This record gives sequence, structure tokens and C-alpha cells, in this order.
Amino acid sequence: MRESLDTLRNEFLDRIGDGASEQEVERLRVEFLGRKGKLTLMFRGLKEVSPEERPGLGEALNDLRRFVEEKLESRLRELRQREKERSLKAETVDITLPGSRWERGRVHPLTLVMDEITDVFLAMGFEIARGPDIEDDYHNFEALNMPPDHPARDMQDTLFVSEARLLRTHTSPVQIRVMETRKPPLQVIAPGAVYRHDDDATHSPMFHQVEGFMVDSQIAFSDLKGVLTHFLRQIFRPETGVRFRPSFFPFTEPSAEIDIQCLLCDGKGMTQERQACRVCKGTGWLEILGAGMIDPEVFRFVGYDPDRVSGFAFGMGVERIAMLKYGIEDIRLFFQNDLRFLRQFA
Amino acid sequence: MNFTLSWLREFVDFKRSAQELAQTLTMAGLEVESLLALPSRQEKHEDWVMAVAVTPNRGDCLGILGLAREVAALTGGHVRLPPVLPHAKGSGIDRLVDVEILSPDLCPRYSARMVLGVHVAAAPDWMKTRLEACGIRSINNVVDVTNYVMLETGQPLHAFDADRLATKRIVVREAGAIEKLTTLDGVERELAPGDLLICDGATPIALAGVMGGSESEVQWDTHGVLLESAHFHPACVRRAAKRLAIHSEASHRFERGVDPEGTLYALDRAAFLLVEVAGAAPVEGVVDRYPRRAKPASIVLREKKVSALLGVDLPRRETERILKALGMKVRGRSKAAVRVVPPSYRRDLAREADLIEEVARLYGYEKIPSTLPLVRPAGGGLDRRLPRERKLRAFLLGEGLTEMINLPFTSAEMNQRFRGLWGGERRPVAILNPLAQDKAELRLSLIPGLLENLRTNLAHKARSFHGFDFAKVFALDARGAAAEKQQLAGLFYGPRERTGLRSKDGTPPTFLEVKGIIEGIFEVLGIGPEPACSKSDIGAFLHPANAAVVRLGDRDVGYLGEIHPDFCEASGLEPFVVFELDFEGLAEYAPRQLTARPLPRFPCVERDLAVVVDDAFPAERIVRWIKGLNHALIEDVEVFDQYRGSPIPEGKKSLAYTISYRADDRTLTDSEVNQLHQQLAARIGGLFGAQLRM
Ligand SMILES: [Zn+2]
Repeated sequence: MRESLDTLRNEFLDRIGDGASEQEVERLRVEFLGRKGKLTLMFRGLKEVSPEERPGLGEALNDLRRFVEEKLESRLRELRQREKERSLKAETVDITLPGSRWERGRVHPLTLVMDEITDVFLAMGFEIARGPDIEDDYHNFEALNMPPDHPARDMQDTLFVSEARLLRTHTSPVQIRVMETRKPPLQVIAPGAVYRHDDDATHSPMFHQVEGFMVDSQIAFSDLKGVLTHFLRQIFRPETGVRFRPSFFPFTEPSAEIDIQCLLCDGKGMTQERQACRVCKGTGWLEILGAGMIDPEVFRFVGYDPDRVSGFAFGMGVERIAMLKYGIEDIRLFFQNDLRFLRQFA
Repeated sequence: MNFTLSWLREFVDFKRSAQELAQTLTMAGLEVESLLALPSRQEKHEDWVMAVAVTPNRGDCLGILGLAREVAALTGGHVRLPPVLPHAKGSGIDRLVDVEILSPDLCPRYSARMVLGVHVAAAPDWMKTRLEACGIRSINNVVDVTNYVMLETGQPLHAFDADRLATKRIVVREAGAIEKLTTLDGVERELAPGDLLICDGATPIALAGVMGGSESEVQWDTHGVLLESAHFHPACVRRAAKRLAIHSEASHRFERGVDPEGTLYALDRAAFLLVEVAGAAPVEGVVDRYPRRAKPASIVLREKKVSALLGVDLPRRETERILKALGMKVRGRSKAAVRVVPPSYRRDLAREADLIEEVARLYGYEKIPSTLPLVRPAGGGLDRRLPRERKLRAFLLGEGLTEMINLPFTSAEMNQRFRGLWGGERRPVAILNPLAQDKAELRLSLIPGLLENLRTNLAHKARSFHGFDFAKVFALDARGAAAEKQQLAGLFYGPRERTGLRSKDGTPPTFLEVKGIIEGIFEVLGIGPEPACSKSDIGAFLHPANAAVVRLGDRDVGYLGEIHPDFCEASGLEPFVVFELDFEGLAEYAPRQLTARPLPRFPCVERDLAVVVDDAFPAERIVRWIKGLNHALIEDVEVFDQYRGSPIPEGKKSLAYTISYRADDRTLTDSEVNQLHQQLAARIGGLFGAQLRM
């Protein structure tokens, strides 16, 4: 009988093998452990075994039954696990389909650039001031040392809303309005919309400027250079070349025009194909800021004593900076508000 | 100002190449805008045309002589003057012409010479080439000489045909009430009082400093020429040129200031050239009326001020070297200052600041160091609006709205239809000189701009468009005073999009969803009173029912609603919702002071209440009434459902509310809550004629 136990064990192992399916496992369970199963029958056959042999054989039989039961169970677990894995694999999503979320709105690129500019100056301790878009001649021109019939007024073609009032042609009047009501020290920026009678690929009748100024007892031209160089290197690249050259504005003296090295050709003035760079027109430089020491005449208009205070002022076009930063060639794109354009900005 | 380098070399020697010179001039404030090689017949002498952007303060650089002075100052060279035919002493000219200035303030100086026997013909090629390279069209040798000398000296000249002058008496006077002059361009101009005229006796023959008249113009049969070289008041020339929209080479220069001491040199140079190129015979003598000789400025320059303003210590030697190089005379020295007299051609130098600029300019901006100033805390405080604006934008972006920036110009028609939040009294602001007739007014509302954006994007096959505009609107009050305010408007067209598979898109936002966004805006801004919607007439462009005014306390601060179906039908659009809020009005509400509440210690018991009411009954009334009780045990109440249809009778609706009960000091018992809830339900039934559904 011991021999037949071994035979049965071998038969069971053979049958359960590697490839047995769930049905086969069930069938084996019936065949070995069922009411008429081979092991069951052998348990019954114990009666015929001599009493001396019975305990040893009984134990061996029990061992075999446990072994078969465990084997069947583990095979079943294994099969179910495999089945689960198979079905999980079958039901997975197409992971190459696009992800899905609500479409975000986009901030306008001009706001993006305006915020960047503002943040650099806020971090330097400047504050923000605002002024009206509809200005009077006094704040827009006269107090900025542009009396009537001054040829500098030609530089700014004005849109009028009445004989005495106009749409501000620059944000500089805010300078006057702040100085009229406050005393130095002042470090202020004034962002906002400005208007000109002008409409083409590089000029829009409305555009945006950030005006800034700093007035205290000992502000020098060298400070203007330091503050604006720092600003430009924050907005563009830390290694951006910056150049200050003399210019003219009626409300500053000395006046400066500030250029940065061309962003497209890195200041070389030509492309890799040895063509003149179209962005800087071959000069290697891009005009980016107007600035200067506030003219003593302006101080007199606001009641400051030019012998006791000095200061600098500057102004920049937000559209121009955005166009250079993002390589935009037509200013009108900003105001067409085509989602295909706006969605390019994060 | 365009000029050729070969011409410049006649006035000053310099060793630099064209490119180097361009760089030098640009860095000295005379920005070279272009530099073009000139095709030349003799190959070894390459010539260049240089275009310099002359700033309005530098009238002296509108002539090659002035540029040569700059080059000399910058490179250490010397200026030389081209040959002239000096006006021989004599009274020949006095027998032929007399000059009388009746308005000496507007015409401080008037000089004239005369030549006879000119042969009017084409100018020689060398002259023509130069003029054309500098952008001036060749006319004939006489006119060309006047232009040539103007380019050289910056002094505009005018040539009259002496034989066409009837009286031989030149009178400079202001125009009377009704006078006319046909200018060289053949246009008959109406003159205005204040215009300065050059007259032949009583008859106007030229508009001073702007343009000559066609009557006295040099023609092919001209023999005698009267050359005018005068000085006119800049503002007077500018007013006339501006009014008549004439921008001439002469007016451009007079407006920017011409050297009053340069009139005679220009005449003598022109006489020299007329003899050379037109075979002219000069008449001896010169007429030179100079009733208002300008006193030369005398300016004190303090050494300390130079270093304080520039942030660099300049030795006095360096400062004086620069001033002298620019033609200034040092007239006195003290320990701390010098007294300086600028040359007559630098009319822009009148003050100490002007001299400091000149010192900085020639010293070189690049040599001035960069320093960072000490920033002292300002008294103004931080801008309160900026953080609010940024929060607002971030919220709207999160809700899927994209920011639009529109021009503020619109048509009168749009302003009639979309009046925004201005009351009935306000009128639109009109532009006196608009860019186009349909852009002749400033917007009252941001909606027309958003509608335009919608159209643009639908034309490009956008599936939907959710945009906002955050900008100013403008109006005039009854007295004509202009007002402007920052406003926020939004437009929701089509479903809110999702990225990925299109089937995941949402549905077009409804009135209530947009109302939710407006509530979100108030929440983000932390505005104290809660906004309420009420029915009011906003405008015919909105749906008669699905629209409301947003009220804050007793003020209207905005509106929202569906666009009127008629408008959508006419434009082939699906229904959509817009809103507009007065941000300026909201900004007046200080943000609510936040105080955190501790978490409740005892549980909350919720009970629902369903009532059947008339269809038109506003759900909010019951909420307000319950909140108005300020009952110690009622924590909150909210509407959670609205239902119409069977078994609710026609014309009625069912509203469901959840009421939260809680006590601060104990756990409420069921019976306590039930009793309270039943009492409340009974009162609501009675007060609002509502039938309770259990
Ligand atoms: Zn470049």
C-alpha cells in the first residue's frame, strides 16, 4: 500500500503539472478527494490494513491529502492571479491617448510682461502709481517742459477729446501728478495704456508704457545706469550687454537712450549666414528704454528746488519688450486677441 | 538729416572709417540711422550717405557745418569753411531793394543780397548728385544753390525773382484778417493773423520760413535774384506750418532754431556758388536788418553740481576742455565754478543743466560708472490694488477665461447699444481727430470689444470662446467732465473645453454658472457684503428674463445675463452669457477682516424642508428670512433643489432647503430639533403661502 501511495503522489504531481487549468484542478480535486476519489478510497481501504500498519499508513495518507489539498489550492491561487493579471492587462486604457483636464484661461502676453517689469521694480523698493488716461495739456506736455509750439510735440501725435483734454501720449504725466502731491524720497513706477495717432505693423493707436522715476537728495546719473542695467538684466539675460547713449527728451537733462545687445544675433549684427540681422538691422543693438535726469524745469513746475533734489526718470514700451522677448513682428497681434495666438503663452 | 561723407570732409578732416564715425556720432547723441555706400564713378573714392536722426534740440546739426563742428569736437579736428564771395562794401543793393521789418519779435533779423544776369539752367551734375543723395530734388541752378547752402549751413535761403517784385520794397509783417497766398506748390493758402508774411509792398510773396509764393518764384527767364537769409521765430514758423500742414526743409530748421549770426555767411556762400554755376553778377552791398540781437547766454557751471548730477568726479581741466571743444568761451573762473558763454549756433544751451549734459555727452556715458542708489522707504505705501488685480486674474484664468486686451475705440452705434454701467446721464467721450469714423468714440462698455473677439475667433473656427477684459471705460457727465473707471467683463460662448478627447467638453455655461463665477469674484476679493441679483432694465441687448443686476448693498455694481435671442439669431450665434462689473466700485469695499473660528465642539443636525410655491417665487426669500431670524440654534440654510413637473401642479415649483441646527454648548436632541424644525416649517408655510411637502 505504501507503494501505491507513492504512485498516487506521482500521478497527482504528473497530472497537476504546470499547465493545469481551473477546470482540471476541479476535476483533480474530485478525482482524488471526492466521495469516490482515489484518496478517499484509500482512507476507506485503511480498514483492511493490519492494525500495526494502520497508524503509520494513516499518517502518510493524511500527509498526502494535505499535500494534495495545498497543491490544489496554491495552483488555484496561481491560476486566479494569472487570470486577474491577464484581464487587468486586457482592460488597461490606451495610455497614448491625450490627458484630459479643463482648459485653463491664459493671461495676455502684455500682462505677463507688465507683471515681470513691475515685479523687478517692486523688489527694488519702488511703489506703483496710476493716473488718468484722459489727461490735460498741462500734465501731458507743459509741466514736462513741452510748452505749446515745442517741436518735441511732433514726436507724439496726439488724440484729442476736447481742446483742453487729450488721451495721454505717455505715462510721464503720472510723474508730475505724484510729485505735485508728495515730497521726496520717491521711487515710483507708473504702468498704463497710452495713445497716439498712429496705426501700422509697429505702431498701435493704443499701447502700454511703464514710467518710472526716483527722486531724492543725491540721485546721480550713475544711479540711473545702475538701476536700469540691473532691471534689463533681470528682464532679459543676466549677461545682456547694455549701452547708454545721449539723446533728447524735453523733461530730462542729460537724457539717454538705452540699448541692449540684440537678442537674435547676440549683438553681432548678422546672422550665421552672414546676412544683416533683421531684428537689429545689422547694428547689433536694440533700443529699449528712454531715460534721463529729471530736468530742473520739471522740478520747478512741481515746486521742488532743483538745487536740493535730483532724480532720474525712465520710460519703456511694454509691447516693444514683449515683441523682442517673444519674437513677435506685428504689434497688431496683441490686440486681435486670437486664441491661437494667446494660447501660446503659458 | 542726410549727407555724404565726402561733403563732410570738405568741412573737417577725420581719420575714422565711415563705420567708426557712425559709431562715434551715435554714442554722442547723433544717432546714425543708416549708412549706405554710394555708387561712385571713381572707384578709389568710396563715398557714403549717412542719415543722422537729429533730436529736436539740435537745430544746429541740420547743416553739414554743424555736424562738422561736432566731429571736430569729438575727434579733435578743426572746422574749415568753404569759399565765399564776400559782400563788397557799397550801396548798390540799396538802390534796388529796401527791407522793412514791422514785426521784429517774429523776425529778429533779415539779410539779403542780390545778383543779376543769372542764366537759369539745370545745376551741374556734382551739385545735383549731392542734393539727390541728401534727399532733395534738383529744380534749377538758382534754387539748387539755395538748397545746397541750406544743407551746408543749416540756414534756409529763399530766392525771389527780383524782376517780378513790383515795389522793390520787402516788408515783413503779420498777416491781416483775410489774406491769401498761392505757395510754390500751387496751393492757394488762407492766411491767419499771427502768420508772418514777406510782402512785396503790400502783397504777400512768401510765408516766412515756411514756403515762398509762386508769383515771385525763380523761373527759366529770371535775370535778377534777391536772396533772402533771415531769422524767424521758431514758434511762429511752427504754428503756421502746422496749421497749413506744410512741412518744408525751411520750416523744419526754423522750428528747431537756426543760428542768427549765420545769415551773412550763407548769403556770401550762395553768391559764390551762383557766380560759379549760374554765371551771376553780384550786386555790391548787403541789406542786413537786425532789430533784435539776441544776448548771448552767460551760464555759471558749478563743479560740485557736475559731479553730483553725473555721479563721477571730473577734473576741471577735463570739463573746460570739453566746453572749449564745443565752441564755448570761458569768461570767468572762481574756486568752485566757471562762467561760460555758448556759441550763437547752440541756442539749446541756456542753463547749467544743459552744460552738464554736454560735459557728460562728450566725456562719454559709457565712462560714467554704474551705482545702485540707497532706496529710502517711501511714504506712499504699497499699492492695494495690484494684489487684488492679480488674485482676480488668477481666479478667472482658473475658471477658463482668457484675457483680452482691446483698443478702447468704438463707434457711436456700439455705444448706443452697449451703455455698460453708466447711468442715463452719461454721454460717450468723442475723439476730435479719430483714426477712423467707426473708432470715433471711447467705449462705455467692454462688451463690444468682447463681441468683436468672439467674432474673430469664431471666424477661425474656434469651438468656443471664454474671454474677459479688464480695462478702463470712459464717459462724460452732464457738465462735460470726463470720467474713467476700471471695469471687468466676461463672455462665455460654447462649452468650456477640456484638453484631450472632445467628448469630455462641458456644456455652455448657464446663467447660474456665470452667477457662480461672479460670486467667486466677490469671494476672491474678500468683499464684505454679499452680492445680490435683482431684476432691472439693463439694456435691450440682454435676454428679458435671464438677466440681472448685481447689487452690493444699495448700489448696482454690475450685471449678467444671456444675450437677447434676437441678437443671436441675427448674427447666427448660439445663446451665450456675458457679465460686466465695475471694479472701481468694488475696490472701494475694504476687504473683510478675516477672523478664524474654532471648529465646532458639538455635532450638527440637518433637516430638509420642501415647499411648493408659485413659479415666480424667488428661492432666496426663504433663505434671507431664516438668516434674518438670527436664531441661536440655526447655523446655516441653503437651497439644494428646485423641481417642476408631476406631481407638482402647473404654475408651481418645489423648492428644497437644508437647515443646519447646532448648539455651542451641547448635543441637540432629536426631539428638540424636530420641534424647532416643525415650528419653522409652519411659519414659512404661513408667511410665504407655501405648501409644505413632507
Ligand atoms: Zn540682431
